[in-house]
Amino acid sequence: MNLYDTLFWFLSAVSVGCALGVILSRNPVNSVLFLVLTFVSISGHYILMNAQFLFIVNLIVYTGAIMVLFLFVIMLMNLNADVEPQKGQLVQLAGVVSGGVLFLVLLAAVKTASPVPIDKASIDIGLITNLGKVLFKDFVLPFEISSVLFLSAMIGAVVIGKKEESTPLPSGE
Amino acid sequence: MKAIIATTIFGVIMMFAGLMVSNKKSIVAIATMLFAALLGVNIWDLTATSADAANNLYFNNMLRIEHYSMWFNTLMTGCTLLYALLMGKEIIKVGMHVAEYFALIFFILCGLYLLSTYNNMLMMFIGIEILSIPQYILAGSDKRNLKSSEASLKYFLMGSFTTGILLMGITLLYGASRSFNIMEIASMLNSDALNPLALAGILFIMIAFAFKVSAAPMHMWTPDVYDGSPTPFTAYMSTVLKAAAFFAFLRLFQVSFNTLSAHWTLILAIITAATLLVGNVTAVFQQSVKRMLAYSSIAQAGFMLFAVLAVNKFAWQGIIIYAAAYSVATIGLFSVLVKLKDFTYDGFNGLAKKEPFLAFTASIFLFSLAGIPLTGGFMAKYYVLLAVVQQGQLMWLVIFALLMAAISVFYYFRVIIAMYFKPGNPEMSSTLTTGDKLMLGITCALVILIGVAPQLFLNGI
Repeated sequence: MNLYDTLFWFLSAVSVGCALGVILSRNPVNSVLFLVLTFVSISGHYILMNAQFLFIVNLIVYTGAIMVLFLFVIMLMNLNADVEPQKGQLVQLAGVVSGGVLFLVLLAAVKTASPVPIDKASIDIGLITNLGKVLFKDFVLPFEISSVLFLSAMIGAVVIGKKEESTPLPSGE
Repeated sequence: MKAIIATTIFGVIMMFAGLMVSNKKSIVAIATMLFAALLGVNIWDLTATSADAANNLYFNNMLRIEHYSMWFNTLMTGCTLLYALLMGKEIIKVGMHVAEYFALIFFILCGLYLLSTYNNMLMMFIGIEILSIPQYILAGSDKRNLKSSEASLKYFLMGSFTTGILLMGITLLYGASRSFNIMEIASMLNSDALNPLALAGILFIMIAFAFKVSAAPMHMWTPDVYDGSPTPFTAYMSTVLKAAAFFAFLRLFQVSFNTLSAHWTLILAIITAATLLVGNVTAVFQQSVKRMLAYSSIAQAGFMLFAVLAVNKFAWQGIIIYAAAYSVATIGLFSVLVKLKDFTYDGFNGLAKKEPFLAFTASIFLFSLAGIPLTGGFMAKYYVLLAVVQQGQLMWLVIFALLMAAISVFYYFRVIIAMYFKPGNPEMSSTLTTGDKLMLGITCALVILIGVAPQLFLNGI
């Protein structure tokens, strides 16, 4: 086992273990902290695959920004294990069965898939220069058109967030 | 191509119109004019589409323009124009951000144009998101109504979850075929030695699309969202948007997974049967016409799924004629519905005496939805079922669909019976002007025109 393999198995074990921690821990704050660890270990995988830019973006955006936001929301809403809604037995059973079937399908698919070894020689493939070239040459249309998506999301924020005129319309209007 | 740019610019113009124009009626007038201009741009696009397939790839194979895609765009833009003309006055009543609502509708059309021309999974994903996010907002635009907020939140959460499933499917498919290009995926996947990753990917994508078009096991959100949303926006969500999702569904399964149909036909056939059964049977038990229309839109989705099931060239005819006939009739029926105060069946009692013209047009729309001959709905059902019959298998499903169509007659005719044969004095929410009558008349004429001369709406596809 060389260093690469050791790192890979270590990161994989951390990812899977922490992902289990997310769903098994009763306290939502612990769940979020486990999720942070999961994201960090997945970022480590990006490094192993020579995707340096993706590593740093994943770390800053997901771990740094989104997860902290999650944490704030959970703390502000004061969620803890006591207020967790209890599901009925039947719903739990249905969840276990459908989740198990999905797991089986994915397991079968991954088991028979033929893995393609990654090219360890091309170390600069994930650098921002190459990413920028791909983004502005091959994928320029999706890159530009996603601005329409963000624009509509911004309009949505204004439409939903802005206070409505307090005078209600006369009934029947 | 030009239409994508035009509709984005028009959306931005609407945002500025909201800033500069304070009169809401002028905003509606501006939006209607822009929709008409957009229809013009679409027709320009349609005539400029060359028959040579090599010239129709744009932006590094991101988009592929075909005649039938452009024709679908033109028809759906026409339906949007019709919608703006019929519903403009009602949209003013929803809330104070009228210009923003229209801006969102322009952006939705941008997503629709992407979904009818995409040649890359990435474009499909962005198209679906551009189509969905404005829908979540429009569903929650009536902020004084708790049900509207509930609809918006429910739709947003479920929709985001499905987006995750769709992305997972695209990822698995990419893992199997190493391409996002839907043409390349088709050539990479071999039916005899199919990679299980690809099969799982197809399944995930099918589930995600079935959610977007509200097919049976994934239909739970539909009644609540369609019932809770402001009625003018329900009319748009259940027609043009659903048609766009169906067109994307059909495009992917026709282009990429055509040769693999042995692997997924049975699953989709079961989904179709369940959709027809749940939609039609549950619609029978509804007390509110608006909620009945939500279930009927599930039932109609079952018929549109036939186009996806039939992997042949007739499917394109089927989906286009169904989209046009169903959209025109449903938008018309919703524009009758918003004139009334009470959305239950009892609210329709005696409408024929009070507003004979309104009752007459509503009857025509209901005839069309039920699939009575000489209306558009009949021809639409004929074309989608024809596509499956041509394919040869699945005759049991066709017979089942005909049985379900017979059930649908029951709940559509309940409205007609209430209007013509039951005494009552329905309360109107607004008076019917001559302009309304003219627009309803034109919509009626369109419904009958689709039924009498469907070739006009197929335009040589």
